[in-house]
Amino acid sequence: MPRWLYSVIALVIGLGLGLLYGWVISPVQFVDTTPASMRADYRADYVLMIAEAFDADQNTDLAIHRLAVLGSDSPADIASQALQTGQTIGYSANDIALLQELTRALQAYQAPPTPIEGTQTDSAPTGGTP
Amino acid sequence: MKRFPWEVIPVLVVGIALGVLYAWLVAPVRYINTTPNTLRADFKDQYRMLIAASYASTHDLARAKIRLELLGDTDPVQVLSAQAQRMLAAGQPFEVVQQVAMLADDVQSGVAHIPPTATIQSIISVESPTSTPAASLSGTETPQATPAESPTLEIVTTILPLDTITPRPTHTPTPTAGAPFILLSNEKVCSPTLTDGLMQISAIDSRHHQMPGVEIVITWDGGEEHLFTGFKPDIANGYADYVMQPNVTYTVRIAESGTPVPNLTAPSCTDASGGLHLTFQQP
Repeated sequence: MPRWLYSVIALVIGLGLGLLYGWVISPVQFVDTTPASMRADYRADYVLMIAEAFDADQNTDLAIHRLAVLGSDSPADIASQALQTGQTIGYSANDIALLQELTRALQAYQAPPTPIEGTQTDSAPTGGTP
Repeated sequence: MKRFPWEVIPVLVVGIALGVLYAWLVAPVRYINTTPNTLRADFKDQYRMLIAASYASTHDLARAKIRLELLGDTDPVQVLSAQAQRMLAAGQPFEVVQQVAMLADDVQSGVAHIPPTATIQSIISVESPTSTPAASLSGTETPQATPAESPTLEIVTTILPLDTITPRPTHTPTPTAGAPFILLSNEKVCSPTLTDGLMQISAIDSRHHQMPGVEIVITWDGGEEHLFTGFKPDIANGYADYVMQPNVTYTVRIAESGTPVPNLTAPSCTDASGGLHLTFQQP
């Protein structure tokens, strides 16, 4: 057997041992994860908990605050995604209704009524003197 | 006899290094679809608070227990109690702390304060969808390839605390909220293991559930002390204590409401330490 083949075999064995160590024996461990990295069904359940609490307190600000840990999407989008996941994996009608209620509230919260032109007074100082 | 090819050793080492480098940096094990038990400690606290808030709304204890199990705590009651104490100490709103403490209490007793009218529990959802979006979403942690003749992926058992058909109870405010506390019992305690002069105070509600966060005011001639229940969860969530001095007469009352209990002194016991155990109840 040519000598260079020994080196190739050794390299392959070394690579294999390295991968074994890195992937099996001591893989990178994500022990301190965030809710945003949770699997979709767990995220949906997280949102459902928020929806259940929202059902009692009707506090949209608190719901938005709680949803913030689930990522940078808008709260309404996060709730909407949870609703879709819930529908797909067979949530009960009651749970779906809760998620819909939350989603609607968040969408309404995101779209405040546009002020009618001319009715809003701007009190910002102009810098001029009377 | 052929000489051992020692020159392969450094190549082997380089190979190992490259392998580890690849496994750790280039293509590390990715946990994009994590489970709640891997959450960072503070996020776990948030998760528990959310479970408690949800439970306060639904009173569905079975669902709350399943959600707590997702966090992988060995003793959820202890963890919840400890968290309630930390929240209390951190000055978080009492209502929020009470939700967590109440959940701990109900999980421990196994009885919901206000049980749901009916609960049909079907917790384990076994999914075997084909290549729908949900399959890739909900089963990425435990996918199993189907036999070669099937081109689809089969997703194996996923524990989902989601499929509970629960008629939602109407939110019923606790009828006794804010009612003044009454002294339920005042017992003399004699025990050789007791700290001499120890005044033990318990605060419970009408259902005899422990009440953390209840402020107690102890006054004596020339002094006043404020205590809160719940700082010794290893004893009880509604427990607090104070060491009385000899020959001093104390008056104890619940801060928010309740009639003062006057003329309390450290009792004397023969061959044992003496103390008092006061139990206040909010009817």
